[in-house]
Amino acid sequence: MSAARTLTFSIFRYDPQTPGDKPKMVSYQLDETPGMTVFIALNRLREEQDSSLQFDFVCRAGICGSCAMVINGLPTLACRTLTSKFEHTTITLMPLPGFELIGDLSVNTGKFMREIAERLKLWLHPSSDDKDIHILEEPMAPEEAARLYELERCVECGVCVSACATKQMRETFVGAVGLMKIARFEFDCRDNRSADDFYHVIGNQDGVFGCMTLLGCQDNCPKDLPHMQQIAYLRRKMTHALAIS
Amino acid sequence: MTINTFVPNPISPRVLGHRRSAIADQLQSATGIMLGCFLLVHLHFESSILLGKDAFYHVVQFLEGGMFSATGHGYPWTSQIISLIMLVVVMVHAGTALRRFPIQLGQWRALRNQQQIIKHSDSRLWFWQLITGFGLFFLAPVHLYDMLTDPSIGPNLSAERVYHGGLWILYIVLLPMVVIHAMLGLYRVLLKWGWINQRTLLRKLTMIAIVYLLMLGLASLAAYLSIGAELSLPVTPYTPS
Repeated sequence: MSAARTLTFSIFRYDPQTPGDKPKMVSYQLDETPGMTVFIALNRLREEQDSSLQFDFVCRAGICGSCAMVINGLPTLACRTLTSKFEHTTITLMPLPGFELIGDLSVNTGKFMREIAERLKLWLHPSSDDKDIHILEEPMAPEEAARLYELERCVECGVCVSACATKQMRETFVGAVGLMKIARFEFDCRDNRSADDFYHVIGNQDGVFGCMTLLGCQDNCPKDLPHMQQIAYLRRKMTHALAIS
Repeated sequence: MTINTFVPNPISPRVLGHRRSAIADQLQSATGIMLGCFLLVHLHFESSILLGKDAFYHVVQFLEGGMFSATGHGYPWTSQIISLIMLVVVMVHAGTALRRFPIQLGQWRALRNQQQIIKHSDSRLWFWQLITGFGLFFLAPVHLYDMLTDPSIGPNLSAERVYHGGLWILYIVLLPMVVIHAMLGLYRVLLKWGWINQRTLLRKLTMIAIVYLLMLGLASLAAYLSIGAELSLPVTPYTPS
């Protein structure tokens, strides 16, 4: 059996809360263990070498989306990235660009997601006469439920936002996460909003017509969501809404 | 510890729908497809010089309506009309595509910063589309203006323009720019509207098309330079023997 590799983690360090602190890259060495993920490595570094290291995690299983960061140039989830997949022993970790930096590798994706949800009204809008909560919902066709579930898998990790150069250049652009969630409600038969209603929210330069199809969202989404197809669908749908309005 | 009060924001006027965004997006795509297809045809027509002077003469004669003219040579003003139409299409395309440009220094810095941190091949391809588009903004009108003011096309006349007129300098820069921009643009527009979802195949075809068109264009340019070098001024228009 070959000897365990010694990995070098080059990590972005900066605490905006500390006066006078400057952004820098700091290197740490760690022996690789079988099945080690970047998330495990970061926890070991924090426990064994530097307790001030800041990064986020909750579920450790690719479900919560908290541990998203840029690993060797690719934005992805630390908990789903095995260190063994890297041929070289130096692993560079950067925080996701485009979000408010909390410190080191920790960014405030929650603030962005909440603002997007408020701005795009990302919740179910039932019909106005559907107010009796005691009435059982109409059953949904399994095909429709499966279609919704496919889009519902978004964990709001923020990878699509960081991977999108359009979003980086245009702060007000809603990004793939916003468009994906709109597509989710557009498919939902319980949502009473019309194409015209959605058009008023995303039928503009900050919405679907601002997307330049750079496909960073499609290529980096850790949940493999069909961003390219959904954005194209919304674009056609919004164009059609314009044509008939 | 501070607690932020949750105050839902009303929809800001910024996010309200704008018809012009949709129209601009459609216009950009439509004019881009027109220009991309025109380039494909244009490069093949002008490369007929590789098959000989006669071949190019007959292509020009056909396109300029030789069958309708008494002399059989056609009407050069047809080239002027096409150039004028293409100039308008280019202007509309440039006008609508300008929305995409990082016009502010902060936007440019954000783009470069993101590209340094995140490695993504399609974003890098778009960056080259952006750079070539910026170059074409200046170079394409020069070519079209030249065709508008001097529409004479033919094996000898075109070779004279390229060699003695020194326009090979323009074409050697214009060719890679327009080929890269147009092929990447066609690739992107097909994905953008969801007309094709087989991205890997489409990307391969795009790369093959770029290499093929560059070789075709460079070979044609070499042919015009070669013909031009053999011509003595003033040049006599070529007529098949």
